[in-house]
Parts: sequence; structure tokens; C-alpha cells
Amino acid sequence: MGAEVIEARPLPLDAALIGRISDRQGEADWLRELRRSWLQRALETPFPTGQEEEWRRVSLKDLPRSGDLLEGADFRPELPDSRLADRGVVFTDLAAAAREHADLVQPYLGRGDGVATHAAFWALSLAGWTGGTFLYVPRGLEVDGTLIARITQPRADATFLPHTLVVADEASSVTLMEELVSPDGSPGWFGGTVDIHALPGARVRYANLQRLGDQVWNIGAQRVEVGADATVTTLNTEVGSHVTKLGLDLRMSGKGGTSLLLGLLAAGDDQHIDINSLQDLIADHTTSDLLYLSALYDHARAGFYGVTRVEETARQSSSYQECRNLLLSPNAGAEPIPVLEIKTNDLLRCGHGATAGAIDPIQRFYAESRGLDAGEAERMIVRGFFEQVIAKIPVEPVRTAMLAALAERIGHAEAFDETEVAV
Amino acid sequence: MALPNPALSQLPDNYKYGWHDDDAKSLNIAKKGLSAEVVEGISHFKGEPEWMTKLRLKAYRHFEARPMPTWGANLAPIDFQDIYYYIAPTDKAVQSWDDVPDYIRRTYDKLGIPEAEKKYLAGVGGQYDSEVVYHNIRADLEKQGVIFLGTDQALKEYPEIFKEHFGTVIPANDNKLAALNTAVWSGGSFIYVPKGVHVELPLQAYFRINTENMGQFERTLIIADEGSSVHYVEGCTAPAYTTASLHSAVVEIIVKKGARVRYTTIQNWSHNVYNLVTKRAVAYEDAVMEWVDGNLGSRVTMKYPSIYLMGERAHGEVLSIAFAGSDQHQDAGGKIIHAAPNTTSLITSKSISQGTGRTSYRGLIKVYPGCKKSKSTVRCDALILSDEARSDTYPYMEIDEEDVTIGHEATVSKVGSEQLFYLMSRGMTEAEAAAMIVNGFIEPIVKELPMEYAVEMNRLIQLQMEGAVG
Repeated sequence: MGAEVIEARPLPLDAALIGRISDRQGEADWLRELRRSWLQRALETPFPTGQEEEWRRVSLKDLPRSGDLLEGADFRPELPDSRLADRGVVFTDLAAAAREHADLVQPYLGRGDGVATHAAFWALSLAGWTGGTFLYVPRGLEVDGTLIARITQPRADATFLPHTLVVADEASSVTLMEELVSPDGSPGWFGGTVDIHALPGARVRYANLQRLGDQVWNIGAQRVEVGADATVTTLNTEVGSHVTKLGLDLRMSGKGGTSLLLGLLAAGDDQHIDINSLQDLIADHTTSDLLYLSALYDHARAGFYGVTRVEETARQSSSYQECRNLLLSPNAGAEPIPVLEIKTNDLLRCGHGATAGAIDPIQRFYAESRGLDAGEAERMIVRGFFEQVIAKIPVEPVRTAMLAALAERIGHAEAFDETEVAV
Repeated sequence: MALPNPALSQLPDNYKYGWHDDDAKSLNIAKKGLSAEVVEGISHFKGEPEWMTKLRLKAYRHFEARPMPTWGANLAPIDFQDIYYYIAPTDKAVQSWDDVPDYIRRTYDKLGIPEAEKKYLAGVGGQYDSEVVYHNIRADLEKQGVIFLGTDQALKEYPEIFKEHFGTVIPANDNKLAALNTAVWSGGSFIYVPKGVHVELPLQAYFRINTENMGQFERTLIIADEGSSVHYVEGCTAPAYTTASLHSAVVEIIVKKGARVRYTTIQNWSHNVYNLVTKRAVAYEDAVMEWVDGNLGSRVTMKYPSIYLMGERAHGEVLSIAFAGSDQHQDAGGKIIHAAPNTTSLITSKSISQGTGRTSYRGLIKVYPGCKKSKSTVRCDALILSDEARSDTYPYMEIDEEDVTIGHEATVSKVGSEQLFYLMSRGMTEAEAAAMIVNGFIEPIVKELPMEYAVEMNRLIQLQMEGAVG
């Protein structure tokens, strides 16, 4: 499927426009109805004004709203092994899945309230999505290797609202990496949303590599529902875009669920990366940890406003939230704000940590005393800084892709060779 | 004294306010509610210079114009028209303890204030309702040139130094409640420590609210001149009343080059008080400012002592302890603004919530561009003692300089059943064991208090802990 443009301004989204999307994608009545209900919510949900705590640091004033709405992705994900399809794995673009596997898509698509901080954008995406990935893993099936989907916005000067839906059925296991790509040079709006359902006992590893164009506004949202005894790890690597405003909503609704939210940010120029997270511990015996690391060059700014909420019902739960910022330029800035809201006393462990600062001069001195020049020393130290997250990525292709993307910002260096770091 | 304002003169001469002590009499009068007339009347009644009257009216307009804060605690129950804005129990402050009226001394006796501390006090500034009724400055302090007066008195006796500094740290339009204080302030302490003078003993003052629906709006201004040092201690207690009361103080501190100020508060207002306080210090080159802030009482407290580090190598510390029992919300914390290179700061917060109590730490570390080699550490620990208690942590950080070291860490925990079991196996009751664990938890802050306050703090925690477990 080639990328096509629906020649209409995305805002205000209207019934005629989403009707045309439905026509083009050959959508059934249930999906048309679903889009209409989300359109209604989109119309009822105002954009953040900047008064909200989560939006104080990002103004939407310059969001490029006038680009045409883009239809379709030019990449249809493929399974690495055709036998997986025989065993019931569905891995395709969402529009095709909605036509061919409605029984799997319908129960999960657009359920739940979305991401509260990004409610307006979640609703827009659910009403006007084109493109995005669908992954279903049947009960008890463990998928080896890494499934890879690339979501491309072929024209930057447009608006693209893809939606990705992942359903890992009970006791299944899967790794999915999505790469977001768009051209440099012209302003556009990427409003991708992700909805992950880890059913009881499932293990899901989701990696998102954001390499959008240098003028793109990325207003994304990810929602993760962690069922009983399920384990979910997400990794967001933010390298591209002009502005990224990502909302993460993690619902620990099943007893005994475990989650780990990882983030790697390497930003320079005048990039602004701002992340909101909510780790909502609802069920008892749940564990949720978060670790986001930022390396900030030039005039880059990183904001992080992350809430850990432990509900009255989340007895014997455990969580930790950590956000570290390495400032590599006098003009870089960081605003890490980790928030705790604890409503029970029956918890195992709960805390957070946040830091911001330059490279420790002693580390730099040590590296330079070993013969590295200033640039090499810095690259090695930044790479070492990221190691805290990199070491938690057990999947080789994901790790390699992330390191390669990060190198575009922090520079290639022999220090990137893993064996040398180990020495 | 003539009453120039009709709003004040309408009230009968023998007007009473339902005092807790039967023989307590209010010698001066005002009415409930706030208006420009009341603000002007207070100023005229006090015989203030015109600039202060104008400032009060300007502040009143700011208060009127600004919305109530919607973040933090629930402030909706406050009815500003149901509050007295000025009451004075005696005509003027007195110099000797013997001159303090009997009924006021009796109330202080119940709180155990004078006997317990006479020996330690460098001077006593007790605030009974809105006026400073007692001030005793030790002779050697006077010889050193230290000024320690009620704020109203200081305005009369030291008008130049007063005008030069008043409202410079917290301007009239800083926030709604600081504006309210500026409009209707009464009492508080004024301290000036001359260059190079070290005040060896802590200066202490007690403030209390003793009238139902009595707002208390004391205003404290401390100026530590170059190379001087002073420790000011403020403690609050109040008998319990049934309807809500408002306490909205403003404290401004100026710590000049090389000076050192510590300001210690133990707040134990009765549980119907809304305690909404603005406290801010500016610290210049090589200065050290320390806030030690204990919040035990009140229904709602919103208080974030802040320090602006304006000169190189200035250092700021906030030590905060909060205890919230049932129906209490302690929303406390600290703010440090790094506005000069090589500045350092430390915030340590310990909070305990019990019953249906709620503690919130809310803080800010801000580093402006160019403030190289700034270092800051924020450490927050919370202890939750019951199922229904709640604890929040909102630590804001805005870092606009690369060459800095900024860190924040927080933990939330409960009293471990193993710790309780161990202590109970040694023969303690569960309440005693829990109190001991809580006392251990707050030890890092209690050890910074003057001894008599540390003893009082431990006793208060023990009282609070009775019936807290099991």
C-alpha cells in the first residue's frame, strides 16, 4: 500500500472525513460506529491549554495543524517465520487486521479511556487513525525472535495518526519493536498511539524507536494494561522529532503483574522532549519500575513529569521511578519531576529518584588520563551512562538498533564496541 | 484612642468575641469580614505612616483580584468574610514579665512556656492574638545593637530600616495569601542583627490563636547584616475550637554577605486552623540560611519555606517534618532557587501520616543559567501508619545550567511488622514500639532542634501515636 493523502485538514475532524477513511479501508459497521464514538469524544475534549501541570512545559501554540491527513503506512509488517501464522499469530497493519480478524481486533480496539493527560490526542487518533500495527499472540504461544514494524510518515508536512494495538493472550510471550520514521525539513504532526494488552501470565516486550524528522511534532500516547501475573517491559528511545510530548499510561490492574518502563533520550539542537507517565498500581502484589535516562546536547530540553500512584487496593506492591539527566551543554536544560501518590500503607517498597548534572569531572579526567581525547572521553561516558538501561534489554536486535540510533546523536566511537566497554 | 473609621466605630466598646478564657478581654475592636475600610481602619488605628496604609490597600486589591490556589489542599471551606482581621488584647507590648496581664499568663502557664524556658531565652516575644504583648530583650543584646521588637513597634521606632526591607523579599502581589497578610498584618517579630554580631542564644517567640474565627496575620522580618548570625525559634500552640480559623503569616529574611540565619518553627495549631504561610529568605555571598520546619497541628497547612541563593557560595537548607493525623493535610516542603554560581542546597523532608491523615511534600529546585557548580540534594522520606492514610511527593526541578549536580530521592514505607515484633518482644506495648520507630524516623530533624523543643517534639509524637496502631 502506498502512502496516500486524504486531502483534508485534520482539524476539526468531522464525520465526513472519518467516513472517507472508513470507505477507503473497507471498514465494517462496528468500526465505523467506533470511530464515530471517538470522534464525539474528540470533539468534546479540548486541547490542553498549558495550565495543566503535565502541559505547563510544552506549548501547543506552534503545533503544525494545517497539514493534510495522511492515509496508510507503506510498510506491511511481516512475520519472520510463516509457521507463526499457522499457529495463530496475527501481525499486520491495523486496517487489514480489522477487515480480516475482526474477532481479535474488536474486543480490544478503542476500549478503555486512553491516556488521561493526552485524552484529546488519544481520541483524535482513535477517530482518525490510518496505519499502525496489529499484533495478536495466541494463548500459551511463545514467539522467539523480535517482530519488527516500521511506521513511516512519508511526507513530513502532513498529519499522521497511526494506532498500534498489541494483544498478548494468556501465558503468551512476544517481543515487538516499532520504528517511527519521517523525513527531515518540514514541519508536521505525528500523533501515533499505542495500546498494549498483556493478558494474564503474558510476557510482552515492546520497544519504540522514534527517529522522526527534525521539524516534526510528535504528540504520542501509549497505554499498557498489565493483567494478572503478566510481565511487560516497554522501551522508548527518543532520538528524532523537533518536539516530542509522550504520555504513558500504565495500568497494573491484575494481581501479581510486573512492569518495567525504560527510556533513552538523546537530544540536541533545539529539541524538546517531554514525557508524562502514570504508573497506576491498582491490584495487589504488583511491581512497576521506571527508568528514563536523557543525554542533552546543544539547546535541548527534557521534561519528565511522572506519577506513581498506589491505590488503596494495591497491597504489597512495589515501585520505583528513576529519571536521570546528563547535561552536555551549558544551554541544555532538564526538568525531572517524579511524583508519588500513595494511598495505602501496606506496601513493600516505593520511591523515586531524579538527578540532573554534567559529567563528573573525575570520570572525565580518568578517561582522558587513559589517552582518550575530550570527544572520545565524553562519548564513552555518555555510552556508559546509557548502559544502565541498555543492560536491561536482553534482546539483541533491539539493543543493536537502539545503540545505532543513539550513535547518530552521541557520535560513533570505538567505545560503542561492546567488548571494549566491557574491558 | 479615636477611631477614625466608621467600620470600626460601629462596634460597642465592650465587644467580646467568645474568648476561651472567661476573663480574657479584647480591649480593641474590629468586625468580621474584610473590606478596604477594614484594611484602612487597621492602619489608621495603629497610627501607621501613609506608605504603609497605601501598601496595605494595594495588597488588598491584589488579594481581591487573585483566584484561590486550586492545587494542593482543599481551601474551599475558608470564608474570608467570616474572620476577624484585627484584635488586640492589650494596648501595647510590655517590657517585663510582671506586666503581662494575668489571664494571658495563665494561658501561657497551661502551655508550660515561661518556667520551662526562662533560663534559655534571650528574649520572649509572645503573640496573644494580634499584638505582641511581651518582649524582653536581654541587656547584652541591646548593647550589641540587636533590635528584637514586635513588628508594629519596629515600624514606629525604626522607620527607615523597616521601610528599606519590608516587602522586598515577598512583595505585596506575590500570592493571594501573602497579599492578604500584607493588607491586614499585625504583630510578628522584627529582628535586626548588626554587622559581625553573633546572637549566641536562640531568640524565641510563641504565637497562638485564642479567639474563635480569629485570623492571625503576623509579619516577621529578619535582617542579618554582614557576618552576623542569629537563630530564631517560633512555636505555635492553640486550644481547640470548633469552627475554622485562618493563620496566614509572612516571614521575610535577608541574610547578607557571610551571615547565617536559622529559623525554626514548630507548628501545632489546633486541628481547625488553616495554616497558609509564605516564608522566604534571600541569602547573599557566603551566607547560610536554614529553615527547620515542623508541622504537627492545623487542619490544613500549605507552607513551602524558600531560599533564594543570590550570591556566590551561598548555602540553603530546609529541614521539614510533617505529621498528619486523621482529617489533617500537611502540604509542606521547600523551595531553593540557585541564582548564583557555586551555591549549594539541601532539602530533607520526613513526613508521617496516620489515621485518615495526608502528607504531601511539594518542593522546587531551580537552577538559573550560569549558576555553575551549583549542587543540590533533596531527600524525602514518608512513613504511612494506617490503611487510610495517604502520602504524596511532588518534587519539581528546573535545571537550566549544565555544570551542576542535582539529585532527588524519595521513599515511602510503613512501620515494619518485624521492627514492631522485635520491640514488643522486649516488653514494649505496640504503641510504645511504634512511637519509638517514629521517633527514630524523625531523629535527623529532631536533633537539630533546641533541646527543650526536641523534648516537646518527642512528647507530641508520643501523644499522637497513642491509639495509632492496632
